[in-house]
Amino acid sequence: MMLTIKDLHARVEDKIILKGLNLTVKPGEVHAIMGPNGAGKSTLGYVMSGRDGYELVSGSIEMNGEDLMEMDIEERAQQGLFLAFQYPVEIPGVSNMEFMKESVNAIRKARGEEALTAAEFLKIAKEACKQVNLPLDFLKRGVNEGFSGGEKKRNEIMQLILLKPKLVILDESDSGLDIDALKVVADGVNSQRDGKRSFIVVTHYQRLLDFIEPDYVHILADGKIVKSGGPELAKEVESTGYAWLGKPEEAGA
Amino acid sequence: MSDWLAQVIDRADAVANAQKDELASLRQNALAELKQQQWPTRRTEAWRYTSLHPLEDMTLPALSQDVPAVPEIDGVDSLDFVFVNGKLQGDMPKLPKGVSVGGLTDSAMQAAATEVFGTVKPRTHLFGLVNDVLATDGLVIDVAAGAKISQPLRILNFVSAGSETHHRVLVRIGDEASVSVIEHGAGSGASVNTAFAEYALGAKARLEHYRFALHGGDAIHIGGAHFSLGTEARLNSTLVGYGSQLSRLDYDVIHAGQHANAKLNAVYLLAPREHFDLHTNIEHAVPNGTTEENARGIIGDRARAVFNGRIHIHRDAQKTLAELNNRNLLLSRGGTISTKPELEIYADDVQCAHGATVAEIDDKALYYMLSRGIKREQALVMLNFGFIQELVAQMPNKALAKWLEPQLRDRFMLMDVRNGS
Amino acid sequence: MSEQIEKAIARKYDAGFVSEIESDTFPPGLDEDVIRRISEMKNEPEWMLEWRLQAFRSWLKMKEPDWAHLGYERIDYQSISYYSAPKSMKDKPKSLDEVDPELIRTYEKLGIPLHEQKMLAGVAVDAVFDSVSVVTTFRAKLEEAGVIFCPISEAIQKYPELVKKYLGSVVPRSDNFFAALNCAVFTDGSFVYIPKGVRCPMELSTYFRINELNTGQFERTLIIADEGSHVSYLEGCTAPQRDENQLHAAVVELVALDDAEIKYSTVQNWYPGDENGKGGIYNFVTKRGIAHKNSKISWTQVETGSAITWKYPSCILKGDNSVGEFYSVALTRGRQQADTGTKMIHLGKNTKSTIVSKGISAGNSSNAYRGLVKMGPGADGARNHTECDSLLIGDKCAAHTFPYIESSNPSAIVEHEATTSKVSDDQMFLCKQRGLDAEKAVSMIVNGFCKEVFKELPMEFAVEAGKLLEISLEGSVG
Ligand SMILES: Nc1ncnc2c1ncn2[C@@H]1O[C@H](COP(=O)(O)OP(=O)(O)OP(=O)(O)O)[C@@H](O)[C@H]1O
Ligand SMILES: [Mg+2]
Repeated sequence: MMLTIKDLHARVEDKIILKGLNLTVKPGEVHAIMGPNGAGKSTLGYVMSGRDGYELVSGSIEMNGEDLMEMDIEERAQQGLFLAFQYPVEIPGVSNMEFMKESVNAIRKARGEEALTAAEFLKIAKEACKQVNLPLDFLKRGVNEGFSGGEKKRNEIMQLILLKPKLVILDESDSGLDIDALKVVADGVNSQRDGKRSFIVVTHYQRLLDFIEPDYVHILADGKIVKSGGPELAKEVESTGYAWLGKPEEAGA
Repeated sequence: MSDWLAQVIDRADAVANAQKDELASLRQNALAELKQQQWPTRRTEAWRYTSLHPLEDMTLPALSQDVPAVPEIDGVDSLDFVFVNGKLQGDMPKLPKGVSVGGLTDSAMQAAATEVFGTVKPRTHLFGLVNDVLATDGLVIDVAAGAKISQPLRILNFVSAGSETHHRVLVRIGDEASVSVIEHGAGSGASVNTAFAEYALGAKARLEHYRFALHGGDAIHIGGAHFSLGTEARLNSTLVGYGSQLSRLDYDVIHAGQHANAKLNAVYLLAPREHFDLHTNIEHAVPNGTTEENARGIIGDRARAVFNGRIHIHRDAQKTLAELNNRNLLLSRGGTISTKPELEIYADDVQCAHGATVAEIDDKALYYMLSRGIKREQALVMLNFGFIQELVAQMPNKALAKWLEPQLRDRFMLMDVRNGS
Repeated sequence: MSEQIEKAIARKYDAGFVSEIESDTFPPGLDEDVIRRISEMKNEPEWMLEWRLQAFRSWLKMKEPDWAHLGYERIDYQSISYYSAPKSMKDKPKSLDEVDPELIRTYEKLGIPLHEQKMLAGVAVDAVFDSVSVVTTFRAKLEEAGVIFCPISEAIQKYPELVKKYLGSVVPRSDNFFAALNCAVFTDGSFVYIPKGVRCPMELSTYFRINELNTGQFERTLIIADEGSHVSYLEGCTAPQRDENQLHAAVVELVALDDAEIKYSTVQNWYPGDENGKGGIYNFVTKRGIAHKNSKISWTQVETGSAITWKYPSCILKGDNSVGEFYSVALTRGRQQADTGTKMIHLGKNTKSTIVSKGISAGNSSNAYRGLVKMGPGADGARNHTECDSLLIGDKCAAHTFPYIESSNPSAIVEHEATTSKVSDDQMFLCKQRGLDAEKAVSMIVNGFCKEVFKELPMEFAVEAGKLLEISLEGSVG
């Protein structure tokens, strides 16, 4: 099993956000997660990747049979977990190139591979850069520094291509993209589908799923998966929205 | 009064009697003012965190004969003026049209020299006055109105162990002229050096300025760079400072004409027991000026960094935009940082802000790097150095930035970096 | 537009009346004899007199500070009277019925009823009039909980062990010029002790009133919160409108033992002087707290009065995990000068401090924030966040910010931010377009600017502070 999440409860500050979430993902599968704003979709990604302040209350997360919660953030990444952020952070002064090279080599090292030389890395970085349709000077700029919303998302996909992870979480990698960029992102993702790698695609729109066909669609609401189905579920959401979920419990309080 | 100051005053009398140039009367005035000055103690606000004991206690060894090599910088074709222990080496380079350069006592330069000398620098700075009365070495640079000088002028000021030097640079930049000046100081033997530079920018003049104060060890370096900006003048200045047993720099930027624009970046990288003190003062005396100042420092080992950044908005200086940001990283126990950004505001229709931080690592950036598999220690090094690198990358002269970057990186890598927080 | 704003901030001072009360007042002048007489009037034990005299001797050797951003005529310390008390207080009234009705009326006029039945439920008041405490209300109820709340002169008699142990333990006798003077001549003030684990059942408050001409007020407050206890204390001040400057030099010491919490709020509305700078109180105050393990000290101040304010309520964060807070609004107008801020001294591990300072300057006034954040070598994991905002109203005022930051711990984090802004023509236009007059608009904008601080005040005070700003900004138009 690529991923097994059992009865996950997680807290941010004093607020319980995830309240009994279950999910299993097999190698090669694509799972879409949809759900209303504030449901906890990003939180799920943060808890899985180990962000500070996102605290496991109960339940478990295993990736390839190993307990993720026992690992540091960077270990999880080295084990093959990749989170494409909804809001990628800017790191002025650290060049994109330097950053990605360090990252690629850290992960190669964890896999027992040789570190790439500067020249080798430059070659694959240029290719990846072209693949996501970013000008090459983006490699020299500070990480995400001054990038537009769409450029940041493409930069995330470029990292995905370079890092070759096993389990990918895409957190709204489609939001804020024009239609061409959407294709670039989807093509980037599809190029990485090899039947072994698994994807969790968080999105609000059917649009992206037209390009990245999911095996399953889940609706996450109020911290739980409340409904699962095939691709047709996404279409249903697109036309009917989330009114059928009823009001979240807190709304009245 | 300290013994040190007393002997300066004695020697100043001798200098005044010996030099018969046109600066002589200005030196006399400065001497009169110097005699009124109190020797700073730790209770003197401007010297609160910097002790002058190293200067008072300094006994100079015999003068060393080592002459350092002049660094060549790839892609920078500069006009070089090399001073070793105060004395200009070799001949003057061949100058392009529109710029004249000479020594302080050079009769051809007296008009520019007397116009600038002591008029930009604040009158009350004790060591500025010391430099006034003792500096007979240095350069006067006069850029004619409208001249665009593309070749940077590089002034190298090397000091060897055993030397005491007082170096002065006076620069007049005519209306609509533009020029780039690099002041590069270095030396780490036991020595005393004061080095003050004054720049008077005419209307619409542009100055690209660099000061690399790369002293170290037992060198005592006290100096400053002072700028007066005419209407619509533009200043872009970058300071890189290493500390030494006593390093103190004062920067002043005076908005004398409206719509002038000043950008000031400073980085300092300090280890192992170095002391570096930077005082900057921005005077908005007229309306519509803009200032953006960034000072960043990394302090390792047992080094001490002092920063004081003052912005003074005068009563009439409406519509001023002024911003100052000081960030510091303290890498080790035993190091200290003292910083004080200051705002003094007498006009209401202005936008002013300052910020200062110590040891703030951006949690989000760190998480982002970790989530890409980078080790924590490595991520911290990258983030820390990125914080300096960001200002280096803003230097308008890219070739210069490229030359500087690896040196800073090497220096940084030698500093001991704290383990993950 | 700015003229309207100017008008809108011209103020009247509501508390400026003089009470006709016969007083025993020392003739002006200060020497050891005067101190002996103060001590005698208070019936003090020998050790207290000795303590005062030592402070006086060190004061004589000290220089008045001149580093604050203030300009004023030097004070002639020999022209001040150091003791004044209503004659009627001489016989020490046993209950409120024995107190001179004129005194009670004075407090009523200031909105501070001293009869318990008329009082705000939940607030106990110590009313200090010139040099003496007039009455302390709700004492019985507090005693039930084991809380001691009484004039400090009484505490010196009744609880000498507590006083000896803590008086001067936070602000040493020779800490600074004004503190040393206070130690020598302090007359009254409040004493609070909250026993272990007790949550003080009501808000405690002291109301200071200067009435007599040419007297100085030198009060002394000492609050001790024993382990695990909790107290919220409020302080208010007013003075009559007079042409002469008067000196107020108080010392406040807070001791928060392990796990205790002290919240200290001040609404300072001393007479600020007239628009030309004549008269007004010189307010030179030393306030400092020491926070032991896991304890918390929170200072909140709304400073609208005084000709000159010189005041830096501070926290020594000695114990691990202790917390210090400083929330301040300082409003100056006319010729007022304020130099205020805080010191946060981080000594313990994981100590935290927050500073929020809002300065509003109008008219010809000058308003400065001066603060120190110090991270000692042992302050592992300590954090400070400081926010200093200035609002300038009109083009003749001044706003300054002087934050000192010193750090010698690599794991400590300090963040300081300061901004300035003005009430912009755009904001005024918007408000007026929505039907608000200039006064209302300015007061709304100023109130919004101060919101972060007001929300820290206890309920009763938040309302008063809001009103105070409104009155301060109210037009004396016509
Ligand atoms: N640091 C925090 N403090 C308090 N609440 C938080 C914090 N971070 C997240 N939350 C809350 O947790 C809930 C879930 O947030 P999350 O970002 O996971 O939602 P989401 O499903 O990704 O929403 P969206 O579709 O808008 O991206 C929200 O109500 C959010 O406000
Ligand atoms: Mg989200």
